[in-house]
Amino acid sequence: MNDSQSLETATTSIQAPSGVPDPKTRRYDRQLRLWAASGQAALESARILVIPATATATSILKNLVLPGLGHFTLMDDGAVTGADAGNNFFLDGFFSIGKSRAEEAVKGLLEMNDGVEGVADVRDIQEVLKSDKGWLKTFDVVIAHNVDSNVLNDLAALLWPETHLVVVNSAGFLAEFSIHYREHQVIESHSETSASLRIDQAFPALLEYAMSLPLDTMDITDHAHIPYPVILVRALEEWRREREQVTSPSSSTGSPRTTVEKKVFKERIRAMMRKFDEENFEEAEAQAFKCWTPTIIPIEVKELFALYSSSTSLPPSASTFPALISALANFVQNNPASPRYPSGLLPLTLSLPDMKSSTEEYVKLQKMYRAQSEKEKQVFKDYLSREQVDADDVTIDAFLKNSHALKVLKGNEWKDVDPGSKELLLDKLSTHPKETATHLALAAARRLGAKDVLSSFKSSSGPNDATMAENLDKNKLKDLLTAEAMTFLPPGTELPETEWRIVSGEIARAPSADLPTTAAFLGGLVAQEVIKMITKQYIPISAGNAASSANDQLGICVVDLVETWTGIL
Amino acid sequence: MSTASGRTAHAKAILGPELHSRLAETKVLLVGAGGIGCELLKNIVLTGFGHITLLDLDTIDLSNLNRQFLFRKKDVKKSKSIVAARVAGDFNPNIKIKPIFGNIKEEEYDLEWFKGFDLVLNALDNLDARRHVNKMCMAANVPLVESGTAGYLGQVQPLVKDLTECFDCIPKPTPKTFPVCTIRSTPSQPIHCIVWSKSYLMGQLFGIDEDAGEELDEAEKQGENAEEIANLRKEAQSFKKVRDAIRNLTLNSSPTESPAKQAFLKIFKHDIERLLGMSDMWKHRAPPVSLDYEKIMDGTFWVGENGEGGAQKNGNNTNGDLQPIASTSTSAAATTASARVALKDQKKLTLKENLELFISSVNALSLRLSSNPTQTIDFDKDDEDTLNFVTAASNLRSFAYGIEQKTKWEVKEMAGNIIPAIATTNAIISGLIVLQALHLLRKSFDAKAYTKLRNVHIQFKPSVPLSSIAYSKPNPGCGVCRDVYTSVRCDVKRTTLGDIVKGISGDREISVYEDKRVLVDPDWEDNYSRTLHSLNVGSGKFISIVDEEGEWETVSVGIGGLPNQPSTTLPFILPSPLPKLVKKTKAPAPSPSTPPPPRASLKRSLPDDNDGAILVDLLSENIQNNSSHPDGQPATKKPKLSTHGKLKPANPSSGFSELRSPSKKRRLEEDGLIMMEGLDDKFEEDVIVIDD
Repeated sequence: MNDSQSLETATTSIQAPSGVPDPKTRRYDRQLRLWAASGQAALESARILVIPATATATSILKNLVLPGLGHFTLMDDGAVTGADAGNNFFLDGFFSIGKSRAEEAVKGLLEMNDGVEGVADVRDIQEVLKSDKGWLKTFDVVIAHNVDSNVLNDLAALLWPETHLVVVNSAGFLAEFSIHYREHQVIESHSETSASLRIDQAFPALLEYAMSLPLDTMDITDHAHIPYPVILVRALEEWRREREQVTSPSSSTGSPRTTVEKKVFKERIRAMMRKFDEENFEEAEAQAFKCWTPTIIPIEVKELFALYSSSTSLPPSASTFPALISALANFVQNNPASPRYPSGLLPLTLSLPDMKSSTEEYVKLQKMYRAQSEKEKQVFKDYLSREQVDADDVTIDAFLKNSHALKVLKGNEWKDVDPGSKELLLDKLSTHPKETATHLALAAARRLGAKDVLSSFKSSSGPNDATMAENLDKNKLKDLLTAEAMTFLPPGTELPETEWRIVSGEIARAPSADLPTTAAFLGGLVAQEVIKMITKQYIPISAGNAASSANDQLGICVVDLVETWTGIL
Repeated sequence: MSTASGRTAHAKAILGPELHSRLAETKVLLVGAGGIGCELLKNIVLTGFGHITLLDLDTIDLSNLNRQFLFRKKDVKKSKSIVAARVAGDFNPNIKIKPIFGNIKEEEYDLEWFKGFDLVLNALDNLDARRHVNKMCMAANVPLVESGTAGYLGQVQPLVKDLTECFDCIPKPTPKTFPVCTIRSTPSQPIHCIVWSKSYLMGQLFGIDEDAGEELDEAEKQGENAEEIANLRKEAQSFKKVRDAIRNLTLNSSPTESPAKQAFLKIFKHDIERLLGMSDMWKHRAPPVSLDYEKIMDGTFWVGENGEGGAQKNGNNTNGDLQPIASTSTSAAATTASARVALKDQKKLTLKENLELFISSVNALSLRLSSNPTQTIDFDKDDEDTLNFVTAASNLRSFAYGIEQKTKWEVKEMAGNIIPAIATTNAIISGLIVLQALHLLRKSFDAKAYTKLRNVHIQFKPSVPLSSIAYSKPNPGCGVCRDVYTSVRCDVKRTTLGDIVKGISGDREISVYEDKRVLVDPDWEDNYSRTLHSLNVGSGKFISIVDEEGEWETVSVGIGGLPNQPSTTLPFILPSPLPKLVKKTKAPAPSPSTPPPPRASLKRSLPDDNDGAILVDLLSENIQNNSSHPDGQPATKKPKLSTHGKLKPANPSSGFSELRSPSKKRRLEEDGLIMMEGLDDKFEEDVIVIDD
């Protein structure tokens, strides 16, 4: 059995239903349940460059190789040292010492998954930056761990913004990482909030059905099986008619507002029960808040309409995303499929939760929702057709299904977060002292490394902390770190004493020790974020929403494994 | 620098020489070599733990390879612990790794054995084993680091007796239950049909030949519909003929009498027709339709054929059109983005395809049984034949009842209680486990180390990937870690219950339990004169001595074998000194197994199942949401319209009788019907939701 066949072959050839699923589906079964075949396809076509072959870098790669990354190149011009052999599981222990770090690590990594392509590159990244710039830009993501500051700055400038750069720095139990991209659109955000059932703005078929039920005379068993949305729509419409003193359909969109009104409304639902134990009515009472929680468009989604209408601020995008947003904006303005509530609604999606009901009643309700969402989808498609883009039905369905949870994130360029503007850092020092202190200390260590003050802070030469910890005067190093950090802040700023003492001490103790546990932790955390970027599913770390004008986030994740916390700056 | 010292340069620099040198002498037990276990083993080897015992009862499956990185394709079907120990051991020959291919609940792993470790790390996937290890660690007073993952979420918790809460201080959710009649005659959701075909039908056709009577007796006691029960009894009895046919597959048997067809006719035609005969049942609900083998096969099975196809009246034909059901239907999933590239197992099968799958899977299973008629086959999500069978049978049943059908992909997740699992989360969690372990070890020379202990959760919120909180104090009402533990070494064949209990507790008013069995209560002391062996209290078990006045904490006595000394004539050795009784603190809230149960119930009370505070609970809800409710609404509001009583476990009617039908209990437990009696955990691993 060969499980390295192409995804297409593996997943689209429908064999006899009794056939054993292909090995590939079985191998990836547990993760396909998280990001589905679409996410897997994205992962399998991704190309990643990782620099250099540290324990942390190989831990990150391990977590990308196991789920089936397409291609990786591991770049390292160094040879394996004794320390590497001790803390990097993917080297061949003692036997690797003296051989190429890149080649030895790639060998170990590829053993885990023969469907992944891995290449060792033994060139010096500094050379490559001069001689092979174009090639560096062929990757989808570049991951740099403890890369020398000068080199990193050149690399970051070259890659921005087309190629996503992930910068990881760690020292003993402390670490930080960030992802550098301009804009990241997420349709499948896997939001935990669900789309509205539109109880307060019921579509015609639902309203009509709810009002048509002979509640007092219908069969008692059927009565106990009315799904709660129907009960709520009925109760709300009756409440509105009473308030407007009409017998025909109400015109209002009013809902109970005050505490007293809400209480009375719940009693009204209770009074609709014909037997004391009708659980569907109990459920309706518990869900009554849906009557006075107006169906609105989340502010984050509204902001996108503005973002993409003034598209001059953004680079021309090859994706259909702006067109979809534009069509959505039009839909929100005018939705003829919902004559009573023509504006202010996102397209209805069929997303009925579980409820107390019989199968028949549930299916009936489901069909009403389905019919209405089909109508609204057609309206949306009409708007979309004006945009002159090609979007297939699958894309449209995914977009509509997630329209209440769309996300467009922005990131920062590396130079803007290393270490970040003085004003912002000053602000962060007061709101997030320990995160900021850690960030400042790691940034200061990078500067010292770049100035060759901290010569061991070069991962490519192989860390040698045992001797360094013995030889270097820790107090002197702490002073140097402090002096460096002060230059990042407005003159006269004081560092938070306790926090700074701890983090600068920790870094002075082991400026670049690549610990197995920290490596394992970072390996998981960073790989997880990279997978989110590649699959465009779930929400990775960011510097905020692209539509927001605020620039109050660096978009850096800070990790302290002494106290066991992570934070976002 | 020499390579020998170079290897440990990083670790030494960071951990400090003291902690680092201690690691080499530390004896650590790692329970589980799966998703977390592999990562964890790598980490503790790299960190320098010197003596590692690695235990796992499982073998390697292909679906493990996306995260259990110590395994290769060539290792599939081999023991996880042995392969993992070999691969990790190659990395550092100085570290001793002892693999055990076995079950942590076996009696040889008794209290004394646990006491031989400095630290225990759990990397387990099932609630039962996790609770067992927790109890053993509390009893042996060995620090434990607990952990679990599911999808992107995970949790790490350091547990130390008397300092932190234990795993059982917070009640764990019990799985959902369904009334027998819902499963057996009036299903209304796909899960009902899946449970039916996986735990009832599989057993009837391919499982142990046993009379299904007890479950129905119990259902009858619970006040479920008597007529319906009588009918179900008849139905069960008539399975015999089909069972025999399945076990005597002759290759040339004509299709008209093939076991698959016989099974089909019995289940989907005759049984449904018999149910339809009970007209009272269908007054207020749509009746099922009986299925027609030939017509399905030639594509002429029409909805409404019999003029009554009630279940379909709200089905696809509201406008009265007759449509052939056997035409290709498109999966609902195929229209969602998650199926941009649809997997073939995600294709919804047509009625005919389901029937064909039913036939081919029955044939395959029949072939396996015919070669060895005494063998039985249980549902296993990784056994394709059984998965195919459950998919086909549950879909055919769903069809008959007008319920939405599920794809094989979905059935596998629902029937196998599959939790998504990826390498990244396990890597994060296992890094955190080692950090907590280091804090625990540092305690021996650094009193402040415990202030660094944290309960850590990885959460969904992108803005705060980790949430960590200081550990909580033990729950004063906890029935596990508040017990006073002691141990007795004895020859169970020569030692009576009275020897132990009287020896330890004197003459207080007490009740005595083994797990949930009552052995003694103040009005019933017959068992004092019986030997432990005759009471089935062997090595590795605990006897709980519960104070009737509720004034003193329960004393739990671990039973262990006598040390190997031929000269020993005493049949038992009591602990010396005797355990000190501890006054009970007023329990603020009811908790797992305290206070002592009313005598009549003959069992200790169950944990409350309404506590949302633990991760597993939240996860199981999320998972459910993701699988069956894409909108993510909390799945707490399941229809509970049936007025039938809940199926209760068939408790032994006398205090210490063995369960009469372990296999049936097990099947029911797998469906979450029962969680009251501890049985071999191997069979319960599907119940709880942590990565395997």
